[in-house]
Amino acid sequence: MKPAPLQETETPNADRTILRVENLGKNYGGVVALRDVDLSIRAGTIHGLLGENGAGKSTLVGIMSGQRQPSSGTIYLDEQPLHHVDVQAMEEAGVFLVTQEPMIIDHLSAAENLMLGIWPKRRFGFVNWGKLRSDAERMLEGTGIPSETRAGLLDAVARRKINILRAMFSGGKVIILDEPTAALTVDDRAQLFDFMRRLKSEGVTFIFISHFNDEILEICDAVSVLRDGQYAGGSEDVGGMTSEDLSELVLGRGLVLFERKRPVFEPSTPAIELRNIRSAKVDLPELRIRSGEVLGITGLPGGGGKELARVLFGLEPGRSGTIRFPDGEERELPEHPSEAFAAGIAYLSDDRRKDGSIAQMSIAHNISLSAEVALASGAFLKPEQERALSERYFGSLGIKAPDSGVAVDTLSGGNQQKVCLGRVLATEPKLLMLDEPTRGIDVGVKQDVLRIVDELSRTGVSVIIISTDTDELVRAVDRVLIFQGGRVREELAGENITRSKLRDLG
Amino acid sequence: MSDTAMTTSATKPGSPGRKTTATGWILHNVVWIWLIALVVIFGMFNEYFFTIFNLQNIMVQATVLGIMALAMALPLLVAEIDLSIPANVGFSAAIGALCNTDLGMPFGIAALIGIAAATLIGFFNAVCITKLKMVSLIQTLSMMIILQGALLALTQGRTITSLSSGYVWIGQETIGGWPVMPIVFLLAIVGMAILLRNTVLGRSIYAVGGNAVASNSAGIRVDRVKILAYSISGFLAGVAGYLLASWQMAITSNQGASYLLYAIAAPIIGGVSVFGGRGSVIGVLGGVLLLTVIQVGLAIISVPSFYVGMIGGIMIFIAVGIDAIRVRYFG
Repeated sequence: MKPAPLQETETPNADRTILRVENLGKNYGGVVALRDVDLSIRAGTIHGLLGENGAGKSTLVGIMSGQRQPSSGTIYLDEQPLHHVDVQAMEEAGVFLVTQEPMIIDHLSAAENLMLGIWPKRRFGFVNWGKLRSDAERMLEGTGIPSETRAGLLDAVARRKINILRAMFSGGKVIILDEPTAALTVDDRAQLFDFMRRLKSEGVTFIFISHFNDEILEICDAVSVLRDGQYAGGSEDVGGMTSEDLSELVLGRGLVLFERKRPVFEPSTPAIELRNIRSAKVDLPELRIRSGEVLGITGLPGGGGKELARVLFGLEPGRSGTIRFPDGEERELPEHPSEAFAAGIAYLSDDRRKDGSIAQMSIAHNISLSAEVALASGAFLKPEQERALSERYFGSLGIKAPDSGVAVDTLSGGNQQKVCLGRVLATEPKLLMLDEPTRGIDVGVKQDVLRIVDELSRTGVSVIIISTDTDELVRAVDRVLIFQGGRVREELAGENITRSKLRDLG
Repeated sequence: MSDTAMTTSATKPGSPGRKTTATGWILHNVVWIWLIALVVIFGMFNEYFFTIFNLQNIMVQATVLGIMALAMALPLLVAEIDLSIPANVGFSAAIGALCNTDLGMPFGIAALIGIAAATLIGFFNAVCITKLKMVSLIQTLSMMIILQGALLALTQGRTITSLSSGYVWIGQETIGGWPVMPIVFLLAIVGMAILLRNTVLGRSIYAVGGNAVASNSAGIRVDRVKILAYSISGFLAGVAGYLLASWQMAITSNQGASYLLYAIAAPIIGGVSVFGGRGSVIGVLGGVLLLTVIQVGLAIISVPSFYVGMIGGIMIFIAVGIDAIRVRYFG
């Protein structure tokens, strides 16, 4: 095992450039992903990398970490130009990429995961378990992670820490974090940031990719913004920047944040009525969602909001419950999503990779997937109608792709989310439930999504947004329910939905 | 995650993008190009390869393997596998044949009973896999062993040869010198192509194979789709069994067993993904013809039989290797 950087702590020299790229370009076929990017990273800093989905962030860090080859340009490490760039060379040079999904093997212990690939060996290739444990325990000191616990049982932040530590103890000097906060709660995030600050003080340099301006402002020393594959601007001193400055660099125009004009509901406004919805995790005597209302549901994980949506959609079994639609139709809980769609109930999961779309299928086929049965004549598809439907949502949602025949997995996260949204909208639901619809997508697309929801509600659809994004709740919903233990604990409406109240109650 | 699709500057004519497409086209059609190359090579070694008789021979041989490969493609498309198909081919044929010879049923009804038995076995496999959550690889492996054993028990180790002339008609009849058996293969190809391209079930099969969890959330009844896929697969195995028996005019005590690896190899060579959700009927056809041409070709150019297995294996290896390169560079 290489000597741990802990012991060879150099005095962090804030003026020394550790990693620099010059005139970096990358083409895929005829598509330009990066063009003439110049960027330098100072040693011992946390350098934020910001940009919309598809701006080229992943490509850039992919090249920096040796996973992709640049089409043009040069990478300098400690001001030495690198001639051959691949993952192994970059890792030997001390540049590590920690991907969005933590690379963790669930059934191995935290210690084994930490030492993955750098397991201390005895003669004949036997693992030196004693040394492995003691090394791992030394590394995990102060992180609060028990070294013998199976990694599958650890929470998201611990898993991510293990990845960062592994990079560091493999000799990492520059650690690239690709959206490390994507699946973390507010507390986890604070914990992760403390951890990063600690490592920074020990001389580690971070490149930190995020969609969130406030995260960049909180933790970064410097920031660079990419837009359409080019360097759009940045600062060596984040302290002097505001969130608006960053948004403007990201979008290249004054960003107009979406603000829903809340409709006024008459007492006579028809509503979808839920009665006695009960399941293992939900206990809801009554809930009315008016036609055209956007209802926000929030609360801690396991509070019951997400579970309510999944019960109403037939993804989780419910013990009892009836759903009454404005037209007087009353029905039991659906037993399968296909019944829910047929009844006009649609749900979009927060985990779009696992549960949202068929990655290798085309955009068009994904959009029509849930509406297929209603569209078909008997067993046979109706290609004309199907194409018309897909094209309609492909166009109206502003999905950025060459055409709708492209596979979904070639799209950026925000556009994948739009495809998922198109799929549920194509079923023309009366009740639409969206679970964290803007998580992990950039601020521009986020406004698009909220605008789509707003427009949809104006056609009389009842919308439920399950969200932990305070900002989204304040600006885009008419009423917020705070769930705890499967019940509604608190309700806020209209002007009463404020950041501070949500924070106090959440 | 790829950022490429976002920067949508159009590919200029003559730019590197175009060259990539040409290489891509070659790699995407590698099965067909390899097939043509082998036909030419075998033809050069022995001009008998180009005779009508040999063409007919290849078509007949491709029929049984082809229908089995189509049967194998269905479980693969829903991201499962069915190792019991070749055993099912032999077992169901024996059931049909015994109904005809021992119970004296009319050959048509007997054949249908055999095919129904095969369908039922496919259905049963799928119920075990979906409802009982058995792992398809092991469940169908055990089914394969059961069916092989059952065939041995049914035949008592002897070969059934007393098939009626009606029963073997389909395998022996010719029209104007051309065998009729390949017509069944053609029908199976067309039927399967329509199923996969034009029906809700076909689209669902691709969706379930691509991502079963997301398919469920999209309103597809995943279990039902898998059960239907396996049942159709079993039906095709039954048809293949009937054809094989009537073509050979015999059912040996290990009928079908030798087809196992070829029936798996053919769809995969033809581009059906072992991870599910990808593949086409035309691809399967390409894989089937390639394997058949290799087998027939090696026999015709009189490669000593000790080397046939090895050389055939190397040729398959090359096809799979090129396909792996395609997947690596062109997804």
